[in-house]
Amino acid sequence: MSGKLNRRDFLKALGLGGTATLAGCDMPTTVTLEEGKEDVVSYLLPEEYVIPGVGVTYASTCTQCNAGCGVHGRVREGRVLKVEGHPDSPINAGKTCQMGQALVQAHYNPDRIKSPMVREGGSLVPATWEKAQALLDEKLGSKANLAAGRVAWLTGTVSGHQRALITNHLESVGSNHHFAVEVVNTNVWSAVSRDMLDDPQPQISLDKAKLILSFGADFMGTWQSPVHFAGQFSRMRTAADRGALIQVESKMSMTGGSADLWVAIRPGTEGILALGLANYLIANGVSSASLPGDARDKLAAYDMQKVSNATGVSTATIERIGKALKNRAPSVVLAGAAVEGQVNGYEAVSAIMLLNVMLGNIGQTILPSGKFPLQQLEAKVGGTRDLAAFAQAAAQKQFDVVLVHGANPVFTAPASLKLDEALASVPFKVVMTQFPDETAMMADLVLPVSSTLEDWGTHVAAYQAGASNISIQQPLMEPLYDQTRGFGDIVISMLAMRNAAQYGSFKDYYGYLRNVFANLKGAGATASLSPDEFWNNSLQAGMIKIDSTPRKHTVKASIAAIDAPAADANFPLTLIPSARMGLFDGRHANLPWLQESPDQIAKVVWGSWAEIHPSTASKMGITHGDVIRIESEAGGIEARAYLTNTVHADAIAVPLGQGHTEYGRYAKGRGVNPLKIVKAAVDAKTGELALFATRVKVSKTNKNEIILRLGHSDTQHGRRLVRTVSVDALKRTKGA
Amino acid sequence: MVIEKDINEQIKWAQINSDVLRSMENPRKAYWITFFVCIAMVACAVVAEIYQYRTGLGPSNLNNPHMWGMYISTFVFWIGMSHSGTLLSAILHIIHADWRKPIYRFAEAMTTFSLMTAGFFPIIHLGRVWNFYWVVPYVSARGVWPNFRSPLSWDAFAISTYLSASMLFLFIGMIPDLAICRDNARGFRKKLYGALSLGWVGSDKQWRHFRKTYLLMACFLIPLAVSVHSIVSSDFAMSIMPGWHVTSFPPYFVAGALYSGCAAIITLFIMLRYFFRFEEYMTLAIMEKTCKLTFAIAMVWTYLNLIEFAATWYGHDVYSKEVLIAKATGPYAWIFWTMIFCGSVVPFALAFQKLRRHMPTMFVVSLLLNLSMYFERWMIVAPTLSMAMEPHQFYIMYASVVQWAIVFGSFGWFGLLFLVFVKVFPSVSMYEVKEMVFHRRRLINEEAAAKFHRRSGDPQPGAQPA
Amino acid sequence: MSLKNVMENWSAYRKDAEAGGHHTYEHRWAMSINLDLCIGCNACSTACYAENNLAVVGPERFAKGQAMHWMRIERYWDVEDKEYPDQGASFLPMMCQQCGAATCEPVCPVAATYHTPDGLNAQVYNRCIGSRYCSNNCPFRVRYFNFYSYYESAWPEPMHLQLNPDLSVRDKGVMEKCTFCVQRIRVAKDKAKIENRKVKDGEFTTACAQACPTSAIVFGDTMDPESKVSMLWKQHQVTRAVYKQHKEDPELRGYRIFEELNVDPSVMYLERVRDTTV
Repeated sequence: MSGKLNRRDFLKALGLGGTATLAGCDMPTTVTLEEGKEDVVSYLLPEEYVIPGVGVTYASTCTQCNAGCGVHGRVREGRVLKVEGHPDSPINAGKTCQMGQALVQAHYNPDRIKSPMVREGGSLVPATWEKAQALLDEKLGSKANLAAGRVAWLTGTVSGHQRALITNHLESVGSNHHFAVEVVNTNVWSAVSRDMLDDPQPQISLDKAKLILSFGADFMGTWQSPVHFAGQFSRMRTAADRGALIQVESKMSMTGGSADLWVAIRPGTEGILALGLANYLIANGVSSASLPGDARDKLAAYDMQKVSNATGVSTATIERIGKALKNRAPSVVLAGAAVEGQVNGYEAVSAIMLLNVMLGNIGQTILPSGKFPLQQLEAKVGGTRDLAAFAQAAAQKQFDVVLVHGANPVFTAPASLKLDEALASVPFKVVMTQFPDETAMMADLVLPVSSTLEDWGTHVAAYQAGASNISIQQPLMEPLYDQTRGFGDIVISMLAMRNAAQYGSFKDYYGYLRNVFANLKGAGATASLSPDEFWNNSLQAGMIKIDSTPRKHTVKASIAAIDAPAADANFPLTLIPSARMGLFDGRHANLPWLQESPDQIAKVVWGSWAEIHPSTASKMGITHGDVIRIESEAGGIEARAYLTNTVHADAIAVPLGQGHTEYGRYAKGRGVNPLKIVKAAVDAKTGELALFATRVKVSKTNKNEIILRLGHSDTQHGRRLVRTVSVDALKRTKGA
Repeated sequence: MVIEKDINEQIKWAQINSDVLRSMENPRKAYWITFFVCIAMVACAVVAEIYQYRTGLGPSNLNNPHMWGMYISTFVFWIGMSHSGTLLSAILHIIHADWRKPIYRFAEAMTTFSLMTAGFFPIIHLGRVWNFYWVVPYVSARGVWPNFRSPLSWDAFAISTYLSASMLFLFIGMIPDLAICRDNARGFRKKLYGALSLGWVGSDKQWRHFRKTYLLMACFLIPLAVSVHSIVSSDFAMSIMPGWHVTSFPPYFVAGALYSGCAAIITLFIMLRYFFRFEEYMTLAIMEKTCKLTFAIAMVWTYLNLIEFAATWYGHDVYSKEVLIAKATGPYAWIFWTMIFCGSVVPFALAFQKLRRHMPTMFVVSLLLNLSMYFERWMIVAPTLSMAMEPHQFYIMYASVVQWAIVFGSFGWFGLLFLVFVKVFPSVSMYEVKEMVFHRRRLINEEAAAKFHRRSGDPQPGAQPA
Repeated sequence: MSLKNVMENWSAYRKDAEAGGHHTYEHRWAMSINLDLCIGCNACSTACYAENNLAVVGPERFAKGQAMHWMRIERYWDVEDKEYPDQGASFLPMMCQQCGAATCEPVCPVAATYHTPDGLNAQVYNRCIGSRYCSNNCPFRVRYFNFYSYYESAWPEPMHLQLNPDLSVRDKGVMEKCTFCVQRIRVAKDKAKIENRKVKDGEFTTACAQACPTSAIVFGDTMDPESKVSMLWKQHQVTRAVYKQHKEDPELRGYRIFEELNVDPSVMYLERVRDTTV
């Protein structure tokens, strides 16, 4: 088989495609023979590989977040029914999170865009692909008059051959502006790791740890590779010597919900606590040999009382954490989004990484990652720095054409970045998306892309668990709508416009992948296989193992002073725009399963809420369900007050996810988007936005509304439904 | 203390006939207004039910812990109401309390009609109304039977039996009167009553058979009445839910049933007396006896309430105790305390003769008693559902317009049936009033009077005061 | 079953019923849920929606309390009156416990919920008339009622293509609940029968157990002494058909919720471990 084979033929060969006449997108349940359009295929005479009533499983890759979990899709009669974890995936080992489960809903979503749309007379109107192609050709084709650097790509985290194609496309149009935008990221952590360990994505081995000290890292919810870490966490819990979790954060995250010791900390002071702990550890006999020479002196400034005053954590608790760190080795100390999202986020994360260095966790629980040999396929990890950078560049009218895919920057950008205005000023905006999101609504040309379950793709997760892998995403069924195109197909066609010699021969992305896979073969340990064998094996496995050279950790610890955020009498509280497993950064707000699935801690569904500590609330006379106005310098939002002691008294937490003004029936007009009022301060070192550093003030409105929650009791009323046992008893029963 | 006659024994038999038959004459304006109000109420319910039938039970606002709501509590209320007729006609019949005679007929009609109202509710509240007959053990070709272990299928038996028996009892008791109607009617009515009176001519033989049948039916009906509400109580008592799983529920339900029935009798007593000018028959003396009976039952009910509380309070079932506390302090507390006040305190009004003889007061009191009884049914159904074992599912329910409309309409339906009844059938038993008068006349001779008065401790006629 | 049959076999039927319905089980599906591993992430719950055609009811109906979470994660706080909690929450995955002596079964007027020879409480949707008595008598409150016809509202085209054809979409007026993924059980049993063997442990599992990222849920057949779930029950000395466990080692973590009601739940929970030494 060569690249000339088209997709349908291929699917047939794979035992999948022919079902389209039977079922799938336009399943002829009511066939009108008069029209003579459909073929009537009796169930008694199906294609030989289709057994009615028997599901077949195909491997693919989940794209609901960037962890790149392998999935198995169950396909029956030509329809994908359910997604399960791929048991052999080193990332998720057969498990899935709820976002992965909802992958099918993104595919079957009723709000998908079903045909290209072109802006005509101010509004988007449906158009044919011919017209869309013509428009693309006019703006980006070989005849287009493109000056250097006038085209920009704006994507989410992108990897694999999609990334390679984007890079190639930019090259072909003489530009290099690829902005990758991701609100939920660990870029500061990566920057610190790169600087301190020479490894941007060190492998974390929670299962080897006896203690996890997590500074707001929601590692089982939104941090790097949640399902992978949940599996490790499970092994840590069930180990003969059960590992413990200490979670230090200003708002309890889902991971915090499993903590053995949960510590509420004043927002933005996590770094101070880390330095205080370092100081405590040195004072209590932990070697400082691995630290720079002036470490002792620098750390001495962070004595217990001072740290306690700054962080609001009692000295007893600091001591407790310090003792645990000292006594339980190996441990692992993590930093999450709330630490990173400060103006001194880099320094705070450095302080936290310093603890890992001091405690000897490097090499024990923090291991070197493999250096992925195929650089062009490596993940282009998105961040908020690019969000600001793009807004700035677009505002300066640097681009003639912007191509958007896999990101919804109009929704995620803080209002103060004025990204929407900047984007509007770009003459030609192409948005490749499945859904009518906020960004698509601003586009001049909307190209409906195939869903994950209809499209080809390869993915290289930024966080590579264990061995290095390229995960393969393959179509599990025929496209639901004939007017959608695979993302790769679109880019290939755009490349062919500019560079027909190289890309004109590829009919589509599939053809391209077949071609490049022949080269990939050499990269793995499967050199002896024929290209077809290799291709088929890879699809079956859902991934290709890549031999990578392990990095070597060279510790270059440094200590920088960290100041507590300055108090502001006008804006007394800190806004916590927390992301959560489920709606994530808002990209899943159009999936009804996830809308109806409650927040793990607050148990709220279908809307926004603002978590506020009862003591703070009582000062302002706010009661549960009161609609409160939260104002920062950048703007204001209104949300229902949710009184809980799982948020620090100096903070107010408004979870991300809602507040869509577009994005289909399930998301539109529901709740508020706290990102809109985030002040666009940046972390000085990395340029990432300090999302967690916005100061706000709260005022009451006269409304009180019901907060929709699953469950109606926060306590067990003495029922002993969830029984607890002490860890000593667990030890006595030998972990049973 | 005035000893008053239950009835004026000098009343002419022809007078009795004409008075009662008069009440069946062409209705006045007020009747028609009431009639159409009732029809409008029923129409509300019908519209609501059609909507609910088509959409599902969602619009009723029932929810996960609150799977039952006002439908079931109203059902229990109407079943309870039905006990009055049986008490007055059957129980008082076999114990020869002849003061029942002028008032038992409408009480019996009330029994039948409240059962006919109650019967709708278990059907309406079903998720799939169209399959309601599946609870009946009809012989199916597929050999599918209802679950005989379920109190709900017992309900189906109990209610249908009780309904048919009480209808029969009402009908049998009316036969001599229907003959009177037949003799005094013309045209279509004559044909109707002629057919219904089953050829009654008042012969000796007929009377003998009639008496035996009537007594037999009375004896048959009493255990039935007790059992039907015991079975309704087992809808709750047979479950394991705290606040429902109560051993004393069967007597408690029966007492509550008699209570609400008696209260309803007082209400209708006053209304009939007023509208049909039945002062001669529905005398204050009978009213007083009814009130005393009601008072006694109220005290029994109060006692059973206390027993239930005490048993729960001193018992070991934590859940039940929590439900009990929640009843008194939770979201339904105001209903609970209204129930206690109206059910256990208000009846003390019945203990005072002055009040007993004051019809407007008694009217209000009787309504309050029934309000208490309605609330009692709500307090049985709701608090347990809103907080049983699983705290995650502690939730309350606010009945929707649909639910209210159907409950509201049921009162209209009951009223409608009753209004039709009083115009079609004699609402006072003529032949039994005559009997009563006849017995009293026999007693009026001096010897009997002397005996009677002596027994009452009154001064002898003509005797000098000491 | 004819009336004659009922009369003749009445005493056998009665005895059977008293002992929980069946004397001879073919399988006894059961679970073990390690609460120490439950992180409350809702993966199980969403997997259940995907597998079992659960309707998304929308915010208005959710507010009324008409939601359908066959598998729900309850979240409790152990201590409420502190300024801040000093430990995480208590998560409890709660679904039908497939009781051996289920209280829902005897009260159904039409026997729409009954005990299968697999030890499951089956809900026969076609037979259900929606009296909702079963839900009222369920101590766990895990039965969900179809207050509406959700087909149009919950699965707008083309979402209906995702519906699992192995089980029905319930219409209005019918009670439903967790089935331990009975459709998967059936497939596994049929397959084993065709291949003339017994169902192997781990050959299949429920959607929740399959998804659970921390593997907190273990599902299997307790009639198979070698199954993982049997071993766990044995290891924790939890036995069936008792209302109070008599453990040699009372510190073993296995327990069943509302066991004291003598409902004989098929789900064993393992106590959450609280490490207060850190």
